[in-house]
Amino acid sequence: MNQHLSSQQISSWLIGERTPQAAEHVRECDECSAELARAGAVLQMFRGSVRRFSEAHSGGPAQRGWAAGPPRRGFRLRPAGLAWAAAVLMIVAIPLYRGLQPRDVGRQQPRAEPALADALLLEQVDAELSRTVPQPMEPLMRLVSWDPGLTDESKDSRGAAAGNQVDR
Amino acid sequence: MIGAVECSASQIEDFDAVVELHWPRVFRFALASLRDRDAAGSVAQDCFFKAYRSRERFRGDCSIQTWLMQIAVNLVRDHGRNRRLQFWKRAQSSAVDLDAVSQWIPDGGASPESRALAKEQLAAVWSATASLPERQRTVFLLRFVEDMGLPDIAAATGIKEGTVKTHLFRALQSVRERMGRLS
Repeated sequence: MNQHLSSQQISSWLIGERTPQAAEHVRECDECSAELARAGAVLQMFRGSVRRFSEAHSGGPAQRGWAAGPPRRGFRLRPAGLAWAAAVLMIVAIPLYRGLQPRDVGRQQPRAEPALADALLLEQVDAELSRTVPQPMEPLMRLVSWDPGLTDESKDSRGAAAGNQVDR
Repeated sequence: MIGAVECSASQIEDFDAVVELHWPRVFRFALASLRDRDAAGSVAQDCFFKAYRSRERFRGDCSIQTWLMQIAVNLVRDHGRNRRLQFWKRAQSSAVDLDAVSQWIPDGGASPESRALAKEQLAAVWSATASLPERQRTVFLLRFVEDMGLPDIAAATGIKEGTVKTHLFRALQSVRERMGRLS
């Protein structure tokens, strides 16, 4: 292999995919071996920096409260939990709200109109009951006196007496 | 060699020892993935809490380290998704500062110029890993920070080994491309 390693071949080498041809070329080619060494060194440096930074900031399990065993956790609301709670609340609340809505409308509207109608009807009934004869006949009824305590005979005698007084 | 301590299922009974041994690795992976010290601490805490609760189901099919990393990978992924909603948290004070991380380079008696170049390259790698897709970043960190082999990465991520290799190759190409702009 006379050509230099391609970028893909270098990456394959770094992840452990090494063909015999590539290995032979790297042994002979200073430029490619230097490129591999440079890339490997940067990755090594990255590993080292992450490890040192992590060690400096880890705090360890003791500082995190694990020393005495697993922590006892209280109720903790997470965003996903909140979303679920809100969804459940909506599912429960919407049918309840819709169930209440028509009842309220139905209760308020008939409440005013039938009350008025009932009052008018009662007035009419009272007026009809207070009349003994139909309204056009009421002037005639003023000419007739009606006493439920008198019999037909007494009526006749009273009528005769009245006739005598007229005759006189 | 990933340096994992092979523990049998019976060894997990001493859970405090497991925590003491594996906490730094789990925290480091979470920190490199999330770039937030507080979030990394929470993920490490949650990871060991979950492991503790399900320790009876651990049968020793894989190493404890791989098992813990499997839990950590899932937690980091979940945390990343939640964080998209909590966008205001990006500005929090515990976020890792790239300049601060880049300070942690080995001295080795290097010249100021080479130190400056190394610092820039380091910052470029950090920046490049941040912009990688989630799976590529996870695989890249497990391989090049945690020094895990491809079979262990496949077990920890639940991805086939061939796919792990593909993700790793693409991630490395992206990172090298970013590094190449500096050289």
